Amino acid sequence: MSTGFRAVQWNRAKLVYDGILIAAVVLYIATYLLLAYWLDPPKDEPAAIDLRIRAFGTCAFLMLTIILSIGPLARLDRRFLPLLYNRRHFGVLTFFVALLHAWFMVEWFAVQNALPDLYAEFTRIADYGKFIGFPFKVLGLLALAILFLMAATSHDFWLAFLTPPLWKALHMALYVAYGLVVMHVALGIMQSDRNPLIPAMLASGFACVTVLHLAAGWRERAGDRCDKLTGDGWLLVGPPLSIPDKGARIVAAPDGERIAVFRDGTQIGALSNLCAHQNGPIGEGRIVDGCVICPWHGYYYRLTDGCAPPPYTEKLVTYRVRVARGVVEVDPRPLPPGTPAAIRYV
Amino acid sequence: MRRAHRSFHRVLWPVLALAVALGFTMALVLRPPPDTAAATAQELKP
Repeated sequence: MSTGFRAVQWNRAKLVYDGILIAAVVLYIATYLLLAYWLDPPKDEPAAIDLRIRAFGTCAFLMLTIILSIGPLARLDRRFLPLLYNRRHFGVLTFFVALLHAWFMVEWFAVQNALPDLYAEFTRIADYGKFIGFPFKVLGLLALAILFLMAATSHDFWLAFLTPPLWKALHMALYVAYGLVVMHVALGIMQSDRNPLIPAMLASGFACVTVLHLAAGWRERAGDRCDKLTGDGWLLVGPPLSIPDKGARIVAAPDGERIAVFRDGTQIGALSNLCAHQNGPIGEGRIVDGCVICPWHGYYYRLTDGCAPPPYTEKLVTYRVRVARGVVEVDPRPLPPGTPAAIRYV
Repeated sequence: MRRAHRSFHRVLWPVLALAVALGFTMALVLRPPPDTAAATAQELKP
């Protein structure tokens, strides 16, 4: 393998993020169980295990809903960006919560010496042809397998080994996992338990994810339209002062890829809008001390040449820029990563 | 995200969302009545 392994790079922000996350999960599970024991104490051991199954199952569903909402929320409102910072740890924790849900389900059968019944649920082929009566646990197991795949490949080693585009494409399977979980609940507990909170939880979670994606997608569509071109094929960006100081304007090249045109005082430079780490939107970042900072995970790149400052080695594609008749223009043909291309205008 | 990635994303999730919405609605509409549900609850649990 050509990619070297690096241990997880812990910092204070990650520790705080994980601490809050774990505390929230513990608080949810504890509140759920305490309320359930107080309202309707379980009569036997299987009933007590059933409560644990529900507590961990609902927790995993809510966590998945939040994870899928973070992306569009961060696009719609920058205040949600801190949630995105360590989303991978959120996903790994969700896998462990879902794994405990599955473990308690096995325990529920085991304490009643009914493991053969569980096996029969998976192997009754005729049930796979039904809609109501479909072996819903299979859907949950498939979702758990996807979550495991996500968790196992969440480390930066796999991100570097698979490359960000492939890694991101692989991690889109989370949408499939979410769909499987919704149907796992809809064809499972929702069929036997008439508690209206179950369909309400499913419908509101699903609607929340859908509406947020629709809103963010609608906003993103406009950014894919190619901007005006000059006679020699350069993209018209606008007057220098139309680019926010220490910020960027994002323009779309004819092939649809996005270019971030930054201004740092009188310096103007154009970089690929894709961070080398996770292909995050560099153009939504800010400039500090001459370096562009990715809004997702804080990766630094010099505006002058798109290189990360030492000791880091990441490089971004750069683009030639010029100011003609008081208008900034960008050549949409990319330069090799790390090529100096920023200019100063008077 | 690259353009290809965005395009894939825009195709994938609406298809999934429609399929899940349809599946969920059918599961809700075709639910057995409460008395039958109670009888089969033990079978379907947990």
